[in-house]
Amino acid sequence: MTELLHFEDLPVGRVFECGPYHVTKEEIFEFAREFDPQPHHLDEEAAKASMLKGLSASGWHICAMAMRMFADGVILKAANRGGVGAREARWMKPVRPGDTLRMEAEVVEVKASQSKPVGFVTFDCRIFNATEQVALVSMTPIISRRA
Amino acid sequence: MNYWEDVEIGTHRDIGTHTFTEDEIIAFGKKYDPQVFHIDPVAAKDSMFGGLIASGWHTAAMWMKLSIAERKSAAAAGNPLQRAGVSPGFVDMKWLKPVRPGMTLRYSAEVTGKTELRSRPDMGLIETRNQAHDEATGELVFQFTGKGFVQRRPR
Repeated sequence: MTELLHFEDLPVGRVFECGPYHVTKEEIFEFAREFDPQPHHLDEEAAKASMLKGLSASGWHICAMAMRMFADGVILKAANRGGVGAREARWMKPVRPGDTLRMEAEVVEVKASQSKPVGFVTFDCRIFNATEQVALVSMTPIISRRA
Repeated sequence: MNYWEDVEIGTHRDIGTHTFTEDEIIAFGKKYDPQVFHIDPVAAKDSMFGGLIASGWHTAAMWMKLSIAERKSAAAAGNPLQRAGVSPGFVDMKWLKPVRPGMTLRYSAEVTGKTELRSRPDMGLIETRNQAHDEATGELVFQFTGKGFVQRRPR
């Protein structure tokens, strides 16, 4: 097993390629039925008449998929101590059934704790479909410093 | 139905409670956030949280679920609803306390801002401060500022 990433390994500007994540219609329905039962996530005919002009994934589902890509691509390889939050999420374009998503997670801010051997690392996670950026989710995990 | 013009800053809605179970915490974690403290109750005991906790995104998605359920029951009771559209996103989400199996969270939403949109004269933006408190202790556990498009009154 390779050594875990520590705070010192995550300077501003470092980028991790994450994904891919294949989005199925079944998964869009499944997430929406449980957490976001609105017609534009659940009903193909109603979705066509909506602001998003077709069936699309819930924004909360996009965040969950971003987390999965972030976990597999960064967090499970890091000396992670949990997350404090998400500074921002922007749902820019609809995520459709059949899309294959990929993500660039870029370190944009680092702050070492004054009292504990950890640091806060903020990543801007940019999510793309085949042609364009569809979302941004900015997350801040706590990462251990090297002993 | 209410329009953007009818939405008042300061309006507070209690949107309901949810008790998180171990099974649903693990199911969400396995699918979307497979860190050991979200998926393995035994290994989680040795983690910095000392036990299983819900993914922060699970806590967040539950706000959406309760918000929609509350809108539906308000509509069924004949109360006017906003003509809600979609959301462009949110800011300042904070996971302040771990959410453990058996914990009941009380969720709320308060209107904190209204913005006109030059690019979409038929829509306005509203901002809401959304929170969840631990029902047992009253402590603030979760918070974010949401944004939503709401239809404007036809002029």
